[in-house]
Amino acid sequence: MIKFEQVSKTYPGGFQALNNVSFHLERGEMAFLTGHSGAGKSTLLKLISMMERPTAGRVLINGHDLKRINARQIPYARRDIGMIFQDHRLLMDKTVLDNVALPLLIEGYSMQEARKRVQASLEKVGLGDKLRHYPMMLSGGEQQRVGIARAVVNKPPLLLADEPTGNLDPKLSMEIIRLFEEFNRVGVSVLIATHDLGLIARLRYRTLTLRDGRMINDGLQES
Amino acid sequence: MSLLFRSRQQGAKQVKISGFRRFVMFWVHNVQQAVASLGELARYPMASLMTMAVLGLSLTLPATLYVVVKNTEAIGADWQHASEITLFLRKNLSQQEVSTFHKRLSLSNDIERVRWIDKNEALQEFREESGFGEALDALSNNPLPDVLLVTPVANKRGTAQAQQLAQQMRNEREVEQVRLDLDWLQRLEALLNLVRDGLLALAALLCIAVVLIVGNTIRLNINSKRDEIMVMKLVGATDGYIQRPFLYTGVWYGFVGGLIAWLATAVMILWISGAVTDISELYESQFSLVGLTFNEMLVLWLLAIGLGLLGSYIAVRKHVRTIEPQ
Repeated sequence: MIKFEQVSKTYPGGFQALNNVSFHLERGEMAFLTGHSGAGKSTLLKLISMMERPTAGRVLINGHDLKRINARQIPYARRDIGMIFQDHRLLMDKTVLDNVALPLLIEGYSMQEARKRVQASLEKVGLGDKLRHYPMMLSGGEQQRVGIARAVVNKPPLLLADEPTGNLDPKLSMEIIRLFEEFNRVGVSVLIATHDLGLIARLRYRTLTLRDGRMINDGLQES
Repeated sequence: MSLLFRSRQQGAKQVKISGFRRFVMFWVHNVQQAVASLGELARYPMASLMTMAVLGLSLTLPATLYVVVKNTEAIGADWQHASEITLFLRKNLSQQEVSTFHKRLSLSNDIERVRWIDKNEALQEFREESGFGEALDALSNNPLPDVLLVTPVANKRGTAQAQQLAQQMRNEREVEQVRLDLDWLQRLEALLNLVRDGLLALAALLCIAVVLIVGNTIRLNINSKRDEIMVMKLVGATDGYIQRPFLYTGVWYGFVGGLIAWLATAVMILWISGAVTDISELYESQFSLVGLTFNEMLVLWLLAIGLGLLGSYIAVRKHVRTIEPQ
């Protein structure tokens, strides 16, 4: 599903965020990506979501080389990737309904059609009754779940999460991870970047580890 | 429409929207976004109105000037039709020769009518009316020439045609001197040309100013929505989708700005029409200022909308693309 072939990323100014990283995440697989702050987790996710381009090497999604996707096509490619952020990036002046419906409206749905899917998506994350609320009125965990509902509302085959549990207590964190597991069960590939090692330890998923831009463990070599 | 997962669009549960529906939805979304943009503007009524007022008032000046030029042209056109050519004939012509010349001119296709002022009759008249009778008696011969007043046919009365006709007359053997009272008309025309050119230059400058003002306002608008634009880009919005509300904002600026321009132009014309009436009364003529016609108002409105759209287009082209998610 996601394949990195000797990928390096050097930012203007000379900082090398990723150094010769290779790995392959299979279709329908769920994995953690871990490492210290600045180890390159965010950069790796940005390469997948095409917010950054690799300096060297190839990134492939579903066999498609991302180098071949030009600037005009990026929006269309991003519709296949559900993205979740630590700061959830909701639009604070829009209702939960409008926030979650955004990816659908962009794809050309009418609001009536979108509403059904939004409802279903919010039910899945347990917020079916919060349609009319504004993000400000929700707790941190609920805001994060709205972010997840937005990421999955158009049923992307791939989910990326950047520190989705960063601001949450362990119980809420586990609830969020259980949500990802549910999506994974219906065939969605999931990659979660986190430095919450306690969380990873409690779950037995493949774990990719980065240190100073190098992949020191891709979760396959041992055990 | 999936790029990375070609099979995705065929999936039973996946996106299934027909082309026709997409087309309809495209327009529905456009209307929705237009209304949403208007709502957005209504949230900051003072700021929005100020931009609209700048746009409208900028267009008022050229519009008012245009009305003035238009009316002056109308007056000029009225007077132009009264052009008459005065021919002073040689003094040594006999009565017979003058009569022949008179007849010859009358037969010309270019001339509607010729009035002959006989030099003897003129002298008689002058003697009676001027009070110089005795002084004239001292002269041995009549100092006045025969005069022919030539009125050209309707389509030869324009400045250029009348001048051409006068030139022809000047070449006639019998004619001593030709007078065509066009000088002041030409001056008026030259003056009008000057005002018209100035008007165009002024209008162009103000239009550029309007585009820059709208562009700058939209740029600030875009910057204040940086985060929202980033989020939209992250969930797969195309630049076109993101730009549209801003373009509609520009259109609304022009829409309302155009209405303000109408109103302000009407007030301006009302204001100066008082002065115009005073002048025309002094000249004992019946003249009233003609305001903007329906078509001209429409053009003004479309111009305002076009400028608003252009300003916002320049801004979004430059700035939406540069905002990339971090």
